[in-house]
Amino acid sequence: MKIRCERDTLVEAVATVQRAVASRAGASPVLSDIRVTATSDGVIELVGTDLEITNRVTVKADVEQSGIAVVPKMLGEIVRSLKGAITIEVKDDEATVTSGDFSTTLRLKHAEEYPRIDLSDGAGVRIDAGVFASALKQVVRAASRDDLRPILTGVLITTTEGGVRLVATDSYRLAVRDLPGVNVLGERQKVLVSAKGLAEVQRLGATGELEVILGERDVVFKTDTKEVSARLIDGDFPNYEQLIPSGYPNRLTVDRAAFREAVERVMVVGQGRDNASVKLTMKADGLTLTMAAQDIGTSQGSIDAKYEGTELVVAFNPQFLLDGIDAIEGDEVSLETVDNLKPATLRPAQGGDFLYLLMPVRTA
Amino acid sequence: MPQTNPSTSGVRTEASILHVDLDAFYASVEQLENPKLRNSPVVVGGIGTRGVVCAASYEARKFGVRSAMPTAQARKLCPQGTFLVPRMGLYGEFSQRVMAILRDTTPLVEQLSVDEAFLDVASVHRLLGDPEEVGAHLRERVLSEIGLSLSVGIATTKFLAKVASDQAKPNGLLVVHAGGELAFLHPLPIRVLWGVGPKNAEKLQRIGVKTVGDVARVGIAPLVAAVGKAVGTHLFDLANNRDPRPIVTDREAKSIGHEETFGEDIRTRPEIERELFRLIDSVGSRIRKAGLSARTVTLKARYSDFQTVTRSHTLDSGTAVSGVIARTVFALLDQVDHERGLRLVGVHCSNFDDGSGAIQGTLAFGDANELQNSIDERRAEVDRVVDDVRRRFGKDAVQPAARIGMNDRQNPTLAD
Repeated sequence: MKIRCERDTLVEAVATVQRAVASRAGASPVLSDIRVTATSDGVIELVGTDLEITNRVTVKADVEQSGIAVVPKMLGEIVRSLKGAITIEVKDDEATVTSGDFSTTLRLKHAEEYPRIDLSDGAGVRIDAGVFASALKQVVRAASRDDLRPILTGVLITTTEGGVRLVATDSYRLAVRDLPGVNVLGERQKVLVSAKGLAEVQRLGATGELEVILGERDVVFKTDTKEVSARLIDGDFPNYEQLIPSGYPNRLTVDRAAFREAVERVMVVGQGRDNASVKLTMKADGLTLTMAAQDIGTSQGSIDAKYEGTELVVAFNPQFLLDGIDAIEGDEVSLETVDNLKPATLRPAQGGDFLYLLMPVRTA
Repeated sequence: MPQTNPSTSGVRTEASILHVDLDAFYASVEQLENPKLRNSPVVVGGIGTRGVVCAASYEARKFGVRSAMPTAQARKLCPQGTFLVPRMGLYGEFSQRVMAILRDTTPLVEQLSVDEAFLDVASVHRLLGDPEEVGAHLRERVLSEIGLSLSVGIATTKFLAKVASDQAKPNGLLVVHAGGELAFLHPLPIRVLWGVGPKNAEKLQRIGVKTVGDVARVGIAPLVAAVGKAVGTHLFDLANNRDPRPIVTDREAKSIGHEETFGEDIRTRPEIERELFRLIDSVGSRIRKAGLSARTVTLKARYSDFQTVTRSHTLDSGTAVSGVIARTVFALLDQVDHERGLRLVGVHCSNFDDGSGAIQGTLAFGDANELQNSIDERRAEVDRVVDDVRRRFGKDAVQPAARIGMNDRQNPTLAD
């Protein structure tokens, strides 16, 4: 194999596939490598996988000699350090990366050790990339990152009347987004998709269309040049619907930007304290935020807000609260509460397709 | 408020740091359990061909038996000795009883291992007397209530307190009073300094340094030239009794953990889990006692070739629940090639919350979804009950708590 490609193009492509390669200790070494395939029609394909997520990128390149090679991920650092056009030539079990008068030769693993990647066969469904990306932005962050709770590391995609619904939870908060008019599933179908994989889908960009191909074990999202495959997770997603209260006695309505800024300001004092909580004191005349971090200090601030209900003090993890505020589209946020122990709900004040359920922190 | 003691910062004007060390701990427990073994040489260690000595009674030491020596060699030196396999569970129980007596004296206890701890007694003067009286009282209580002999060193720094307890052994108490530190320390051989192994000792001998006093006299530059900057400056500080480390209790610690070294490598999963249960149980109870919760759980394993690996997992939120720590540790065990044989395992919890007592609520998914929340809350309840029973009736009142949440597994039994 021998190819020639512009440095910037190659850097971006390698960085993309590198995000998918295994970083976990004890993973199969071949999964930390990058597979490069050069086809005769002037295109090279790069693939990285940890078997949970697979990223595939195709870029234009001069292909002098087609072929396939499995290259150590150090390729990324090497191409980043170079300038101008880069040549990669594979002979026997070595790859030489050359730019101008500089070259590096890397020892290669055998390509046949690389797992078989079955990508994107079958017809897909086309959806609006921007709409889907905005929904992912709202939901993915609520999924768990704890691999020991595999079901919660997934995002539920389920059919609704006239569209789909995306749901994720780490058991402390739950995000629900409806996407009317987006039909990627069959009738009454539901799938649980790796949230890590969907975070990669978010990076595919928000313009044009995405092709979605639902397979047996993976779901593939494609643009013209990039492809992300995310593993489907086995198991039953928790019955989340019963958690959403049907009504709330208390409702706070507040300017989204002001609320966000206030939380950010008071949470500074709790830096590095994972479990420091922000207390919201809600009264008819406004909202006061207080944050106390043991041995460090206290901060507080007040902002205008409309409040209907009985006076209430409720505490939240500030990062979880901020995630919720960030996920709201629209200028005003409503925070609905029952008391200081039951789940509260954040949503756009004017209503909409998104809901963020958040468990309070019980303070001593 | 964390328990910071004003006297732990800066130089002490009074010898108020105690280093306490149980004498020939494993062997003494065996002698206590079996009166026939009293006053006779007892060696605890691995009995296989590759086993090493974990502990030797003072009677066995007279024959030249030492810790870490191959058991086969110990048998040659002391053929009349009684050779026993370690019963870690038993030693763990005795250890916890001793530590409870220490914590009864002052909360400022830093446990170093099963048989060693530092205590800061500067602030218990009015209540219990001066440090020497406190040390004598502890020795008396451990002997009369448990039956084990404890050696105590008392000094103005941790380092010197440890040196003093070593000198006091067996079954003694030694106070190095403020002002008399260097006179005590300088005649001692350099191997009493931490960081002087056989290799460094040889290098120091070559520049004519044999005693701690020599280290202080020769000055910092020749030391650094001989053993490198880090070790050289460290030795120089110790030789001048400069050791500013305060007593760090669990409440302020960055990490709480326990490790266990085996006389003989263990390799089967049930065996390893049995040891881990015990470590998890005591780590969990220490975290709860300190009122903390930890987000990161680390499993440490040392293979028979001394290669040491650690595997960590960070939870979404902190826990003090033994069952949750166990679930995490056993998942991490999958990433360790235990069939190679392990000579040490350890469980460490870190990444603590601020101890404010705030608890992130969890969504009530319900039992049907095999999600851990409700199970974990029940486990937390079990921990609370167990801790409470143990507080009132002693450690032995509930056994083995290590089974919490592991009903599907074989009932762990004590070694032997």
